[in-house]
Amino acid sequence: MNASANEPFVFATVQYDSGDWDSAPMVPANVIDAIARYTEIPVRPQGVTVPLSSEVLFGYPLVFLTGHLPVRFSNKEADVLRQYLKRGGLLFVDDHNHDVDGAFNKTVREEIRRVAGALTPLPNTHELYRAFFVFENGPPTTSHEMNGWGDNLVHEHLDAVLFDGRIAVLFSNKDYSSEWSYHPDNKRFLSVDNTKFAVNLVVYALTR
Amino acid sequence: MTTPALRSTARERVTDATSLVLASVHRAHATLRTVAWARAASIGVGAACSVWLVTRFAERLWAMPSWMSIVAALGAGGAISAVLTRRVRAIDALRTALWMEEQTPAGFALVTLVERENEVARARAQVEPFNTLMRERLADAYIDAAGGSSRADELVRTSLRALAVERLRDPLLFVLISVALLAWWSLAPRPGGAIEHSASRTPAGDIAPDTARSNVPIGAWRVRVLPPAYSGLPAQALGDVESVRALSGSTLSIDGTGTSPSAVQVRALVDSVTAARTGGWAISARALRVTRSGNGWTATLTTDALPTELRVTRGTATRLLLLEGYGDSIPRISLRLPVRDSVLRRATGRLPLESTLHDDLGLASGTFELIVSSGEGERFTARTLRVGARAYARDRDVTLRAALNLDSMQLAPGDIVHLRAVARDAHPGAAREAGSSETRSLRVARPAEYDSVSVEPAPPPEVDKSLISQRMLLMLTEKLEQRRLRITTDVLKGESARLSRDQTRLRLAVGDAVFQRLSGESSAEHAHTAGDGHDHGVEAVGGKLALPGTMSATGMLDEGDDSPVIGINKPLLEAYNAMWDAGRALEQADPRAAIPHMRVALAAIERARAASRLYLRGKPPTVILDLARIRLAGKDTGVTNSRSARRALPPGAAAREARLLAAAELATGDPSAAHDSVAVLRLESLADAPEFARALATVVEGLRNGGEITDVFVRARRVLGGVTRGPNAVWSRGGPP
Repeated sequence: MNASANEPFVFATVQYDSGDWDSAPMVPANVIDAIARYTEIPVRPQGVTVPLSSEVLFGYPLVFLTGHLPVRFSNKEADVLRQYLKRGGLLFVDDHNHDVDGAFNKTVREEIRRVAGALTPLPNTHELYRAFFVFENGPPTTSHEMNGWGDNLVHEHLDAVLFDGRIAVLFSNKDYSSEWSYHPDNKRFLSVDNTKFAVNLVVYALTR
Repeated sequence: MTTPALRSTARERVTDATSLVLASVHRAHATLRTVAWARAASIGVGAACSVWLVTRFAERLWAMPSWMSIVAALGAGGAISAVLTRRVRAIDALRTALWMEEQTPAGFALVTLVERENEVARARAQVEPFNTLMRERLADAYIDAAGGSSRADELVRTSLRALAVERLRDPLLFVLISVALLAWWSLAPRPGGAIEHSASRTPAGDIAPDTARSNVPIGAWRVRVLPPAYSGLPAQALGDVESVRALSGSTLSIDGTGTSPSAVQVRALVDSVTAARTGGWAISARALRVTRSGNGWTATLTTDALPTELRVTRGTATRLLLLEGYGDSIPRISLRLPVRDSVLRRATGRLPLESTLHDDLGLASGTFELIVSSGEGERFTARTLRVGARAYARDRDVTLRAALNLDSMQLAPGDIVHLRAVARDAHPGAAREAGSSETRSLRVARPAEYDSVSVEPAPPPEVDKSLISQRMLLMLTEKLEQRRLRITTDVLKGESARLSRDQTRLRLAVGDAVFQRLSGESSAEHAHTAGDGHDHGVEAVGGKLALPGTMSATGMLDEGDDSPVIGINKPLLEAYNAMWDAGRALEQADPRAAIPHMRVALAAIERARAASRLYLRGKPPTVILDLARIRLAGKDTGVTNSRSARRALPPGAAAREARLLAAAELATGDPSAAHDSVAVLRLESLADAPEFARALATVVEGLRNGGEITDVFVRARRVLGGVTRGPNAVWSRGGPP
C-alpha cells in the first residue's frame, strides 16, 4: 500500500500481457475527478499504469483491470497478484463486454479462481454500498447493460472474493469501463453523476 | 332766563329742525337696511360655500353628479338669505327713530316727529299739534347751535360704523373661511383624484403632465366608434376606456355625465425623430366642440391615421383618451402567372394569368392590366387592355384568374406586353390608390434575333443509369445460354453484345472503385486508370490488372513498401479481371464461355464485401486533471470583465428615457398621473419604436392593476436603451436602438 498516509491516492490501471488492458483510457481521469469533487482525499491528478507482473503493484491500494479479449495471466502475473491480494490490495475487475457469455468474462473468472478463489455474489447490503454515498439498491445500473450488444441483462449484484470479510477482488459485468469512459469535462452535461460509485470503491479500499 | 332776542332765534332754529332731523332719520334708515342686506347676503354666500364643500366631499363617497352640488349650494344660500332679508323689511323709519333715540335721548320727540309724518299721525296732530317744547328738545338734541346743521348725520356715521362692524364681522369671517376651504379642497392634490402637476415635476418636453386619472372629476364616459360605412366594420360601444384603436375616418364620440367639460383638446402626436426636428410632440392641436345631451355632454371626432390625444378638462381635472388611428391599406397583390418575363418567338396561343389579391378590409374589384407597346426607333404606340375584370363584395383574400388570348391581340414582332394585376378596395376617396402587382414583360422576338433567343435543341442530358448487378448479368447470360438453340444467330449476337456492354460498364465501375481507393479522389475529378503513369501498385497487362510482385500474401502493406494498395483490393482486382474475360466472351457471342468468368467475378465481389475491416484506434488523450479547479480552490477571483460606462442614447431616445424616469418617480406618489404619462409616451412610440411601445404597454397595465411595477419599468428602460441579456445572463447594451 502507500508508504505514507500523507501521500496522495493514485489510481492504477493494471497492464497484463494478454488482452486489451487499455480499452478504457478515460476511466482513471473520471474516477480521480469524482474523488476530487466529492472528497478531501489527497489524490494524484493523473492515473498510472502498473504491470501486473511487477511488485510495484504493491504500492497501490486499489487497482483496476478491464478488457474485451481473453485473459490469461502469466505465472509471474499470478504470483504478484496473489501476493497483492493477500497484503490487503483490492482488485476491481470490470467486464468491458458486459457479457456473461463473452470471452473476457469466462477467462478472467477462471484466472481469478486460480489466483484468489471463486467469485461469489456480493450482497447489495454490503458496506461497500455505504462507504461514502448510499446505494440502496446495490451497484448502480449502467446504460450499457441493456443496449443489446452484450448479454442484455441488468446484473443485480457484483461478485467478489472476500479475504477475512474484506473485499479482495470485486468483479463487475456492468461495464463501468464504458459508463465512465468520457472526459471529465463532459460530466457537467449529466443530470446525475454516474461516477459516484467509484468514490465508494476508493474510500472502501483506503479504509478497510 | 332766556332773552326775547335769543328766544326769537331759537324759534327759527326749531322751525328748521324738523325737516333736517327727518332727513337724517331717512338716511339712517337706508343705511340700516343696507347693513341688514349685506349681513343676509354674506351669511347666504357663506352657507352656499359650506354646502358646496360638503357636497363635493360627498361626491367622492357616493359618486354624486356635479350638478347636485351646485343646486344644493345655491338652494342653501338662497334660503338662508331669504330668511334673513325678511328681517330687513321690519326696519322702518319708526324703528330707526327709536334706535336713534337710544343713541341720543330726546324724550321721544324724534319718535313723535316720525309718527307725525304718516297720515294717521298727521291727523292726530291736527287734534294735538306738535308742541313747541318738543320742537325745542329736537333742536337741542339734533341741531348744531352754531351752524344750524343736523347733528344726526354725525350720529348716524359713528353709530352705524360700530353697528356695521358688529353685524357684518362674523358673516364676512364665515364667508372667508368657507371660500378658503373650498379653494383648498379644489386645488390640493389628493391620491386617486384629480391632480394638477407642478411644473418642477415635469420633464422638459413632456406633454403628459397636468393630466390626471379621471374617474372622479370627469366621471365615467362612454366611447363609441362608428367606422366609415365603406369598411363594413361594425360600430363599437367601448364603454369607459382609456385608449381606442380606430380606423381612419371613423366617427368617435364620447358621452359623459355631469356638467360639460371646459375644454376638449385634440392633439395629433408624432414620433421622436419628427419631434426632435420640430421641437414639439404635437403636429396639430385644436379644440373639440362639446354639446349638451340630456344630463350629460357629447364630443365627436372624426379620426385619422395618426396617434391622437384627447384631453378633456373640467376645472382643474383632466382626463385623457388616447386614440391609435390606423389607415386602410391598399390591396396587396402578387402575380403568380406568368412566373417570369419571357421572349416569345410567335405570339400565339392562350396565356394563363393568375394573381392573389388581399385587402385588410375587403376588395371591391380586380383585373389584369396590359400595356402593349409597339413600334421601333422613335415611333412607338401604346394601348391599354384589361382582362378578367371582377367585382368583389368585400372579399379579403381571392385568387384572380384569366386567360390571355395572344392571337386576338395581333401582336407583331418587337411588341412588348407589360402585364400586371390591379385591385381596388372599397375606399370611396377620389384619389384613392389602387394596389398593383409586380409587372411581367412578354416580348415578341424579331426575326433577326432568333439566334440570340435561348433555344435548347439537344435532348436533356442523360441521367446516371443504374448498373445491372453481376448476379443479374450472370442470370441473364445463363438464360441466354439456355435459349441458344432456339434462337437465331443474329438474335444471339445481338443479346450477347448487349450483355457484353453491360458487363463492360460494370467492370469499369469496379475499376473506378479500385483506383478511387488508391488515389482517394473521385474518378470524375481526377481519374486514375491503369497505365496513367501514377504509381498505384497496379499494373495493366493486356487489358487486365495485376498486382506487382512486392505485394505480400495477405495483401497488407509490407514494411517499407510505399504502395497504398491494401488487401481489400485483391478480390476487386480479381473481379475486374474476370469481368474482362467474361466481356470478351460475350463479345464473341459465346455465353457459355462467359459464365465461368462471371461466377468468378461474383465470388470475388462477395469476398470483397465480406473482407475484414480494421479500424485503427488512435492514442487516447492524456488527461491531467486540475484538482484545484474541481475542488473550487483555484485562483479565480469571481470578478468578471471590467465594466464600462454606457454610451449615451440618441437625443430622441434620451428624451423618452427622461420622461420614463419622471413617470417612474411619479408612480409611487401619484400612480394615476404616471399611468397617463406612460400611456401618452406609448402612443408616441408606436410608430418608430414598436418594441418600446410594447414594453410600455406592460407598464401601463401594471400601473392600472397596481402592485409591483419595478420590473416592468426596468424592462421598458432596457428595451429603450437596446440592452439585451447575453448568453451569460448579463445585461449589456449594444448599439443605439
